[in-house]
Amino acid sequence: MSQAPSLISIQKTVWDGKLPLEIVLAPSESRSYDQTDPYLIACSRLAYLPSLLPRLRAFFSPSLIDPNSHSHDGWFSFEGVPLKWHYPIGLLYDLYAEADPASSKGSKSDEAGETASGPHSWRLTVHFNDWPHEELVQLDAEGVVINDAFINSVKEADFLRNGTAKGIMTLSKEDSSGLWEAVQDVDLPSFQRISNILLPTQPFRSVPIRFFLPLPPDSGAPSLKLVQSPLSPSISTSQPQTIGTALHTLLPHLFPSRRTPVLAKPVLHGAVVPMSAPIEEVVRSSAYGDGWAYIVIRMMG
Amino acid sequence: MASLTPSRPSQEPLMGFPFLKPDEFDYGCRVLCDRFHAWQISSSDTGLSIRFVHQQVTSDSMLKISRHIENIGVHGEENALVYEPENLQELQLEDDSEHDPETLIRAIEPNASLQVDYDIALSPTYQVPVLYFTLRWINHKGPVLGIDVVYQYLVPDEYRKQLKSVGIIGGISFDYHPITGAPTFFVHPCNTADAMRHIAGGQDVTPETYLVIWLGLVGHCVGLHMPSELFATEAGARTTERLGQQ
Repeated sequence: MSQAPSLISIQKTVWDGKLPLEIVLAPSESRSYDQTDPYLIACSRLAYLPSLLPRLRAFFSPSLIDPNSHSHDGWFSFEGVPLKWHYPIGLLYDLYAEADPASSKGSKSDEAGETASGPHSWRLTVHFNDWPHEELVQLDAEGVVINDAFINSVKEADFLRNGTAKGIMTLSKEDSSGLWEAVQDVDLPSFQRISNILLPTQPFRSVPIRFFLPLPPDSGAPSLKLVQSPLSPSISTSQPQTIGTALHTLLPHLFPSRRTPVLAKPVLHGAVVPMSAPIEEVVRSSAYGDGWAYIVIRMMG
Repeated sequence: MASLTPSRPSQEPLMGFPFLKPDEFDYGCRVLCDRFHAWQISSSDTGLSIRFVHQQVTSDSMLKISRHIENIGVHGEENALVYEPENLQELQLEDDSEHDPETLIRAIEPNASLQVDYDIALSPTYQVPVLYFTLRWINHKGPVLGIDVVYQYLVPDEYRKQLKSVGIIGGISFDYHPITGAPTFFVHPCNTADAMRHIAGGQDVTPETYLVIWLGLVGHCVGLHMPSELFATEAGARTTERLGQQ
């Protein structure tokens, strides 16, 4: 543990994490059906998909059958599944891409989760028509809806950490919009300045973590089960709550051991999280921009 | 995760007020639902229906209340779906061009009505109930119902300004349903605990009384009114009295 990297350096690595995306235009919306050139980009794991829409709309505009759509009409799907834009891209990737997560047993460069994960980019489809109202909340031209969703999420994390959401609610208007801008721009220094106002110096009251259990695609909607329960940062005066103790408490059948992943493993930012990692440290170093650690449970074998 | 213990004597005051535990919420919902069904037998149609749902797999409990708003199209301009220009400017949520008021009024069938489905679930973060709701057309294939319709048809005048002034887009915004994952409106729960404390702090509150007060506090804002005769018992009377004092 003494050689463990500092929380700050882990946070920097997380914020540097990028995913290669290959985005194609929905064939039904393209003048050249499936022959449209894809848009390639290395995208921050912490970003949100709608941030790509203006440049995608511009890139694909010569190919669009319907020239009247706006960039905020855009939505994404992966293998036919509409992707919820209020989740960061890295979480969507961990949920759906089924790439093998990096683990500490791999080479050192694997630690960021991305650098050595292979040549495959994640292939997504963008649509500018036929918004799936049954599945996705519609975006607006000014970006108010996504900003609202982000702040609601920040507020929840703040409430758990402090037992009240007064921190975020008393944040100045500049800082409140600055926080959202910092996440959109993946600007860690600006983010740290504002999030330090929100983060308590004393231990968290509860730790904002959500666990996602992906269900097989044929199990019917909804395809994800979300597990959230108030998690204390420590289990006794001397023992911190670890990823392993939390999982063993919440999902005892999947995690019969507190120390070793037997049937399933926890994945965050494309990497397997050590079972011994204290949950508060995980959140302080590796939370997404809204203050939450979203951990995907992946079955083994 | 809190386990459900059916034998728990749940008409006792809540220890963690103003917060609710899953089993307390579950119990309060069941009691309220039973009370409504018992009362409904001897009463005229209220346009409300109530169901209690408990998912075994996830052990999530939910109270589902449906309400009909009849004859949206027949009252002429006063009540028809008119999008006031000032609302559009304030909200700026959707593309204005889709909401030409005239086309919309013309398009509505005379016997069209709205159904509002309210789902009440417990927030694992705030540990208070959250009100989710969706709107849909009955007898009519109309446009997707947006937040402007919510303010026009569900939010009473006295709450409108107050609700719009909080948060980024107001006290009502969008989320995904905690169980179905479908898009839904919801009323922000972040002030609920403080408001509950303000109204009923220092008194003994049972799970059912909690929900009755909460329905008065949060439900009223978005047109969910439980018939007051429903609570014309000793406990209910105390509650409605308190609600009247706000």
